[in-house]
Amino acid sequence: MRVTQLIVLGLGTGAFLLIATLGFSLVRRVEGFLNIAHAELMSVAAFVTWYLNADLGWHFVLAAAIAVVVTAFIALAIARLIYDPIKHLGPPILLISSVGVAFLLHGITSAVIGVGIRSFQIPRLDAWNVGGVLVTPYRIALLVLAGLVAVGLALFLNKTRTGKSIRAMAINKELAGSRGINVNAASRATWLLAGLLAGLGGVALGVLGTLTTDIAFQQILVILAVAIVAGLGSLYGVIAAAFIVAFAMDLSLLILPGGYRPVIAFAIVIVVLLVRPQGVAGSRPELTA
Amino acid sequence: MNWGQLAITVVTLVSILGVVTLVLNMQYGHAGLINFGVVAYFAAGAYTYVLLTQAPPSEASLDQYAIGLDLPAWAGLAGAAVAGLVFAAITGWPTLRLRGEYLALTTFAFAEVFHSFIVNEQRFANGTRGLVGVPRPYREELSFIDYDIALAVAALVFLIIAYVIFERIVRSPYGRALEALRDDELALVTSGKRSRRFRLEIFLFTAPFAAMAGAFYIWYTTLAIPDLFTAEVTFIVWIALVLGGEGSNRGALIGITLVILFEELIRAIPFDTIRAAQIAASLEVAALGLLLIIFLRWQPFASLTRAPKRVARSG
Repeated sequence: MRVTQLIVLGLGTGAFLLIATLGFSLVRRVEGFLNIAHAELMSVAAFVTWYLNADLGWHFVLAAAIAVVVTAFIALAIARLIYDPIKHLGPPILLISSVGVAFLLHGITSAVIGVGIRSFQIPRLDAWNVGGVLVTPYRIALLVLAGLVAVGLALFLNKTRTGKSIRAMAINKELAGSRGINVNAASRATWLLAGLLAGLGGVALGVLGTLTTDIAFQQILVILAVAIVAGLGSLYGVIAAAFIVAFAMDLSLLILPGGYRPVIAFAIVIVVLLVRPQGVAGSRPELTA
Repeated sequence: MNWGQLAITVVTLVSILGVVTLVLNMQYGHAGLINFGVVAYFAAGAYTYVLLTQAPPSEASLDQYAIGLDLPAWAGLAGAAVAGLVFAAITGWPTLRLRGEYLALTTFAFAEVFHSFIVNEQRFANGTRGLVGVPRPYREELSFIDYDIALAVAALVFLIIAYVIFERIVRSPYGRALEALRDDELALVTSGKRSRRFRLEIFLFTAPFAAMAGAFYIWYTTLAIPDLFTAEVTFIVWIALVLGGEGSNRGALIGITLVILFEELIRAIPFDTIRAAQIAASLEVAALGLLLIIFLRWQPFASLTRAPKRVARSG
């Protein structure tokens, strides 16, 4: 029974990780670098929602929607102001620069919000008892949301013109540009989408638990783990990887104390990088990145 | 404000973290290996020192750590160096296979796993609570001088030793091979050098210095708590290195001096309320991030400190 309960828990964790990692992987694939500040964007969205919802008393859905849109534009602004001018310096410098962005966002949010634990003003719903296993409605909602996000993203990337140009850019930027694809528009769409997904992830974080300003840093570690297990470039791999990492972390509670959850994620990272660096879904090794 | 005390603090911290910055500069600036887990060597050295020199745990106290060997301080320092070497061997072998950001992630992962181990394993060093009031060594022998000054001098001597050794390596043929590893690995391999060996060697050789710096840090803080050994140390050292211009040992030292000065000046400002101090601490983090972004983009010190590339790029 304990195992079933943990699997149900893992489903919720996996849904969250899926939403949180998709945007990160999209940026990695299209813009070509690891944006460490992605998790801080989640934290920005969570606290904008908290401010509108708990402080100003707006309806939660409205607050969350505004926060997600605001986060998308912040992501775009950061990309244009900070990342674009140093693109020519290569992925490692962009990676280090994104650590700077993470520091900047973290410093600003914690200066504005302050210390302490925050939570949204949403109704406390009782968990349902399904055959002895406790299921909370919010986790089910999150699972549905993650499914919608994954399907929506797949449709967007495969069916729309902008989506197709994003995919073309991910494969070969120069070729895409020379074939008349509007690279700037595709890059703009990528950042807005990544910010949107980070925003949803941040809101999910606040719905599932309580918020502190340090929450983002803990998340980026697990997001990195999911992205690596997926293969840094692959978007479909993210779906499998999110649940693999989530189940591994939550089922580890059977044998290890809760504090070791991130260690499990990183143990998977180390094993994957050394044994199968292209990830579960990647096809070609990209070791000389 | 007590300027004398501030100066002593700055000298001590710049010397201790300066060694870590130099280590990172040897690995990244000279050999091109991105190590995002440099705090792990620092922490491994610090905790090894504490476990070797600490008195065995007494039954009466709340201590849960299992090992305390009660060895003299010099043995603890030597042990710290060995711990750095062992940790470099563990984290170094992936470097044989991984490049660029993959290496960054693996080293980061190793450091986080180690940090989680320190936090969660009560029997290792009391977990989150850590060990407080670690005794400072040679107190009686140094009673003729203010201990803080003695420690600052010792740390500075340690920094100078590390600097001289690293500079000698950089200027040797071996150092030029390392730079070739960074600039053009294919050319290095083509000219008959074993690049894999260089990668592992530079990790093994530099890590003990960072680990010994960890022992110095214990003498300075007298604390062995996990909160002092987070990824923030790694990031601070990276910021310092980028500030000063990577690839130059002198630049690395300028960078860490600026960062520590900045941090200590902010900490020296008296605040009336806890909230004001908390805002200042948060803005300090934001400012460090902003500095990193600005310096990466415009690289103002790069022309001052960075040595001109000796290897002419072809094609």
